Amino acid sequence: MPSIRKLLIAAASALPLLALAAPGPVVSTPQVRAELVAHAPEGVAPGKPLWLGLAIQHQPHWHTYWKNPGDSGLPTNLQWALPAGIAAGEIEWPTPQKLPIGPLLNYGYEGTVLLPVPVVVAAGFNADKLDVKLHADWLVCKEVCIPESGDFAISVPVQAATAGNKALFDTARAALPQAAAGARASAALEGETLVVRIAGLPAAWQGKALAFLPEVAGVVQNAGTPETAWQAGEWTAKLPIDPQRSAGPALMPAVLTMPGRAAGLRVEIPVTTAWPAIAAAAPLPSLGDAVVTAPMANANPVGLIAALALALAGGVLLNLMPCVFPVLSLKVLGFARQADDRRALVAGGLAYTAGVVLSFVALAALLLALRAGGEQLGWGFQLQSPAVVALLAALFTLIGLNLAGVFEFGSLLPSGWAAVRAHHPLADSFLTGVLAVAVASPCTAPFMGASLGAAVTLPPAQALAVFAALGLGMALPYLLASAWPALARALPRPGAWMAHFKTLMAFPMFATVVWLVWVLGQQAGIDGAAALLALLVALAFVGWALGSPALGSKARWGFGAASLLLLAAVLAWTLPALHEGPPAPAQAQAGWEPWSTARVTELVGQGRPVFVDFSAAWCVTCQVNKRTTLNRAEVVADLAQRRVALLRADWTRRDAAITTELARLGRSGVPVYALYAPGAAAPKILSEILSVGEVREALAELPSTPRSLP
Amino acid sequence: MKRLLMPLFLAVAAGAAMASATVGQPAPAFTAVDTAGKTVSLADFKGKHVVLEWVNPGCPYVQKHYNSANMQATQEAATAKGVVWLSINSTATDAGDYKAPAAMAAWMQARKAHASGTLLDADGKVGRAYGARATPHMYVIDPSGRLVYAGAIDSKPSADPADIKTATNYVNQALAESLAGKPVSVAATRAYGCSVKYSSGA
Repeated sequence: MPSIRKLLIAAASALPLLALAAPGPVVSTPQVRAELVAHAPEGVAPGKPLWLGLAIQHQPHWHTYWKNPGDSGLPTNLQWALPAGIAAGEIEWPTPQKLPIGPLLNYGYEGTVLLPVPVVVAAGFNADKLDVKLHADWLVCKEVCIPESGDFAISVPVQAATAGNKALFDTARAALPQAAAGARASAALEGETLVVRIAGLPAAWQGKALAFLPEVAGVVQNAGTPETAWQAGEWTAKLPIDPQRSAGPALMPAVLTMPGRAAGLRVEIPVTTAWPAIAAAAPLPSLGDAVVTAPMANANPVGLIAALALALAGGVLLNLMPCVFPVLSLKVLGFARQADDRRALVAGGLAYTAGVVLSFVALAALLLALRAGGEQLGWGFQLQSPAVVALLAALFTLIGLNLAGVFEFGSLLPSGWAAVRAHHPLADSFLTGVLAVAVASPCTAPFMGASLGAAVTLPPAQALAVFAALGLGMALPYLLASAWPALARALPRPGAWMAHFKTLMAFPMFATVVWLVWVLGQQAGIDGAAALLALLVALAFVGWALGSPALGSKARWGFGAASLLLLAAVLAWTLPALHEGPPAPAQAQAGWEPWSTARVTELVGQGRPVFVDFSAAWCVTCQVNKRTTLNRAEVVADLAQRRVALLRADWTRRDAAITTELARLGRSGVPVYALYAPGAAAPKILSEILSVGEVREALAELPSTPRSLP
Repeated sequence: MKRLLMPLFLAVAAGAAMASATVGQPAPAFTAVDTAGKTVSLADFKGKHVVLEWVNPGCPYVQKHYNSANMQATQEAATAKGVVWLSINSTATDAGDYKAPAAMAAWMQARKAHASGTLLDADGKVGRAYGARATPHMYVIDPSGRLVYAGAIDSKPSADPADIKTATNYVNQALAESLAGKPVSVAATRAYGCSVKYSSGA
């Protein structure tokens, strides 16, 4: 007996050697018979279907594994050697079986399985036969596991059809998980459970007992039967989290299976909650004693001081932004009028500062509260709502018209208001501060998103301190000007030129409106943009009719009534259009594809470097970088030469998956530019203000890539 | 009431199947018998780092790391720093590759293993308490008794010994970081290898 066994083992170990000597289409081991097969029903030519595959016949009770092998095991791995002009894709894994082993569970295949791979033939391919070489590794298990490998070679005729294995490929296609069109899925972490909700599954699947097969390993427990339920057409599964979870994906692609169906349904499930860090707690400093020290706040004091200083400097810069400068410059020029009343000036400056700082802190507190409530938001969240964008556009239009002299607030506001302003100059200054933050908000998001992103992840008290520093920085020039009369006196004397300057300042305001309309267009489509423009026209009419100093009171009544009626009518018509519309056709810029974590993993897995542009329409810095750097010919050429895959994550609307990924990268705003090199543990993050030199330098550091796919 | 009880019931059921040690939490206490018949408890090693290694001589992935002497080198480096290393075999007595205590001790000795002890867990109690799935499956426990690493021996899940050289040894890394008083940077990975051959009972 032992001698026979030894003989068998010797034979088995000799087989791969034989195969190495002269690879053919078949490798047989005592556990499997594996065959390299091709399917080219119309010959091998560009644009014609061409499939290769490894067909594995298992001995009874032996199995090989799916892409997620489950609790143990390894997926089968194929390495192709193909002539130039022929590129093999990824395995299109057929729907696997659940394979329980004691308390463990694996996903894999028994009996016969074909792992098909789509192949693309390049335009110039014109050899008379296609020589295919394959090295495959697979792990085959019953009770024991045996890692096996084989080298295969076949020659596929180019002119003639190859369809001898049609049935095999047809069976594999029939078992390929189908994309669940129309399914709406989401997953949320509730304690130690991932609650998956899927609505809109096909009718044949409704009400059935479904099984959940995750494509990502190491997230949820594989074994055991999760609690599932059907309610009003929505399937819910409560999946216990793996206590030794090794991944925290923002997207959980999974295959649903039901008894009696060969093909499962593939669903991509965004995880809407953030994953807690995996046990990153610092070890106790004890030497064996049981003293437990209070957990230290994970704040780095140096980091906090730097963040405060940066926020202060950023705040000062905000004064130069096109949204803020017109309003503020006029206010400062007003100093010239009262340069001698020093006390009033300082008090006004302090009130203004208070208004700015409190507004920033309030906005930040709102953001933190919403985040604590589980909302997936980052800085810039204000601009992800079409309603807020529309309100800001209206505000800027009114300010612009006012500056241009179309109307005066004095005649528009109730007559008592002017008196209030005159009697309460401090309240007026405070409100100017609030207004300044409101008009600055479309600029803070685009220009400061990245630096404020870090702030949001700090403990609340520190985060609020950073926002307060930003407000203080923004108020600083005004405060200094008010506290330093010499500065106010140095300003030009008031005169006719001020009226011209005021009119001039209307134009940056209108330019901001153009940009806001464009942002809204990205969110709500062309109909939304048109609705907003109509609204702005109606508002302008109201402003002129009620506020123009040139109109007599009779004309004002007539036009005013008409304009208000018009505004009401326009509002009734436009409000529905200002909701988030259907996804605007993705800005399909040549060479860029939409981002997903799964796609990044897939591409990096193929050995390709990946560049991800986290961007949003309302982010000015993003748009500037796109035009001045990413679209530059030399950058485009470098990217193409290094075969860098380009993915764009568009955050113009709220997107939980993108917010989660930004948080993982330590940011909560855009732009973020991440370059993933194959084999590197973490992506390289480039600076927010991209330069051609920086991108090319980062690309030059990439390991050189093979010219053709393996 | 039913809605409340249901998850509770499931949690208990899952607990019976695979109670699982959680990274960052206290490691489950256990007592087992070593190949010499001596009783060993985790509590005996309080104040020291402890490495648990799930082992099954019949598994090709265990052989990958023993035949290349990678596992022994990892054991030697750890024990030289005062770390306690326990190799645990949870293979059931009715499994094809079960080894009796004497045979297990001989196998470890023949490979010049540097484990502090080799424990037998044929009923799978310790393995189930830790949620050990594969051989090898590695765990690192810090001096306060907290589980700080669970997962694979290294970063290259393959049967090819040539991959060891270029792989990151997660156990070495976790021990180095934890001994230096730093948090473990990679605290959980997917163990690769053969399934643990648990007994069907219990």
